[in-house]
Amino acid sequence: MPLGILPGRRARASRRRLSIVRTAALAIFAIGLSAMAGSVAYFLPAAKLAWDATGQVISIASPTPSPTSTAVSSPTPSPIYQPGAFTVLLLGSDDDSKFSPDHVLTQSMILVRVIPTTKQVIMLSIPRDLYVPFWAGGSGKIDGAYSYGQAGGAIATVEQDFGVHIDEYIWIGLLGLIKLIDAIGGIDVVTSNPVIDDYYPQDIYDPYPYDFQRVAVLAGPQHLDGIHAMQYVRSRHNDLQSDIGRSKRQQQVLLAIRQKAKQVSSTDVPSIAAALGGEIKTSMGLGRVAQLIPFAATFDNPDAITSMVMTPPLWHGGGPGGSLTPNWPEILALVRQYFP
Amino acid sequence: MIARFFLGLGLCALLLVTSFATYVYLGGRNSKVDVVAQKPTVGSPRPNAFTLPGTLYLSQNGAIYSYSFGRFHQLTIEDGWMQPSLYPDGTYMLAVHRTYNYSDVYILTRFGQRISLVVNNAGSANNSDTGSKHWSFYPRLAPDGATMWMSYDEPKVGYDVPLSIWEMPVNGRINQGRLWTNSIDYTGGDIQPIPLTTGGIMYTKYSRDDNGNLVGQLWLSMRPSPPANGLTLTTYGAEGQALTSATDDCSSPSISPDGHAIAMICTYERQDDRLEIASWDGSNIGTRRALIINQLVAQPTWAPDGSGIAFLAPAVPGGQFQLWFLPKNAYNPPPPPPTPIPTPTPGGPYHGLAPSPTPAPALVAPVIKPIQITTNAGFDATSPLAWAG
Repeated sequence: MPLGILPGRRARASRRRLSIVRTAALAIFAIGLSAMAGSVAYFLPAAKLAWDATGQVISIASPTPSPTSTAVSSPTPSPIYQPGAFTVLLLGSDDDSKFSPDHVLTQSMILVRVIPTTKQVIMLSIPRDLYVPFWAGGSGKIDGAYSYGQAGGAIATVEQDFGVHIDEYIWIGLLGLIKLIDAIGGIDVVTSNPVIDDYYPQDIYDPYPYDFQRVAVLAGPQHLDGIHAMQYVRSRHNDLQSDIGRSKRQQQVLLAIRQKAKQVSSTDVPSIAAALGGEIKTSMGLGRVAQLIPFAATFDNPDAITSMVMTPPLWHGGGPGGSLTPNWPEILALVRQYFP
Repeated sequence: MIARFFLGLGLCALLLVTSFATYVYLGGRNSKVDVVAQKPTVGSPRPNAFTLPGTLYLSQNGAIYSYSFGRFHQLTIEDGWMQPSLYPDGTYMLAVHRTYNYSDVYILTRFGQRISLVVNNAGSANNSDTGSKHWSFYPRLAPDGATMWMSYDEPKVGYDVPLSIWEMPVNGRINQGRLWTNSIDYTGGDIQPIPLTTGGIMYTKYSRDDNGNLVGQLWLSMRPSPPANGLTLTTYGAEGQALTSATDDCSSPSISPDGHAIAMICTYERQDDRLEIASWDGSNIGTRRALIINQLVAQPTWAPDGSGIAFLAPAVPGGQFQLWFLPKNAYNPPPPPPTPIPTPTPGGPYHGLAPSPTPAPALVAPVIKPIQITTNAGFDATSPLAWAG
């Protein structure tokens, strides 16, 4: 037995040492737990809203064979295998009070192919007035596909008619786009021309959705807030190409949002989610969204972004109800080049 | 037991403090992308503030500001004021007062006080048709100080609302005005008139390129456009000559104080643009030179003493537009000193190999970068700058 230490005292010292270790461990655990609690409290509202908006189940109604479904017989495109590549259908709706929330039209439909290995993005805007066979049966302007079957109906129609496979979709309403752009502090856009419209719908924050207002978005580089970005992408009356012209502007704004989103950090998510609440829906799960946000920032090369708008001879006018008659062989040839 | 009680209490306090601190920490870590632009007058003057010659007038959030001696002054309230343009003698300015569905032109003192209304576009209060109202933008005075030029949305037919260049007496009425350009239908029209000393104007005309894309082109017009008639609504090309090609997509012309150079922005149909300069002989633009590339640049404006070019540009991608200045040395460097001539060897004629002079060190011109003057402002990039000497 070593001198100077009695057996009872050694046991007490050992207990005291154990107690200090336990206390320290308990304190560290408590700090970790409370930090986690603080994080949960910070992200919980966003997670709740994000949970509601993301991971939307795509339900596709059983199709009714359509007698006018000429596009279905088109040859299946040869798949282009790119590891990790995926296709997203972006849908934008006028979800103002003119429409029942369940039966809105999609004024904007953009197919987006993302190829992570080559950091390429390909965007193809589909004219909203294109006369197509619906998945659910019958034919009409393609913007009606959503109103007959929500996102599932729109996806099934595009997949059927264009021979593409869509992995995900993102739907956004009018207010959603305005709030998204405001939540990220506005965007920088080189507006292509003065966009002036004497009969622009006054349906945002207005009790009379059939009223008109005048808008004038001046030309050139500028910083746009949500309202003015919306006016820029939505106005079509003073554009000879009407819906086609604004599709080009929509792609410009999409790229500007992507540019600005590079500066967004994960701690911005609660404020953005709170701003967006209910105005955006996507089939992507939370995990997928979290994975894609930093990934999007790596797409730096503007030359790797291909923006396309369907113009004649891909369609010609004079279809039923002012619709556009598709030239399917030309359309499918174009789509097949980029979208498997 | 008492020790355990205090231990528990301490742990509870620790839990509360840590969770609260974590919450606050995360809140403070956000990227501040949605930060609101500050008024330029906040924190002005700053020590060692960069000073520009004369007084610069610019617009932010519906207010007109002046910048002189490194200090901003707010001249008007935030109420739709934009696009200031000075009288030739600098005593007054023209400015646009924009509401949500029309815009008027006013004469203001250079301190921002209203003198008179030049163009009233409100229309009749009894007429609820939105088409009865008008837009006036980009007012400019001719060197004579009596003639005003502007972009004005008349004539317009139904959905086609293009801006055209108009000329009118600044102390007169719009019905005394003359249409100078026939804008191309459904393009947005003609904007940014710059009166020339020769009596003509330079302006930006919007048209479509071969692919149907809308693009800007600088045009020169020396006389009012022949009136359009019923069949040829657009007498395209009759009112002057194009100075730049369609695919270059150029706009925002600014002529140097000596009248021999022009600055402009050109996008080449991309979502970034270039600040370019070229010589100008009164009717043609010389070879263009890009001074700033891969950055958004708006409203280039020559300093009245020719010492440089001010412009608006965001400091970060997607950011608000700040005020910048590009010194003259960046685009017009001083000539290099003469190359030293080797001193001849003293003595008689030498018939051997000539001594090769020691090579002079290569002269590397210092790279002059643009100077960022503001950091947290948010200037209106669609509002031209006015600069008094």
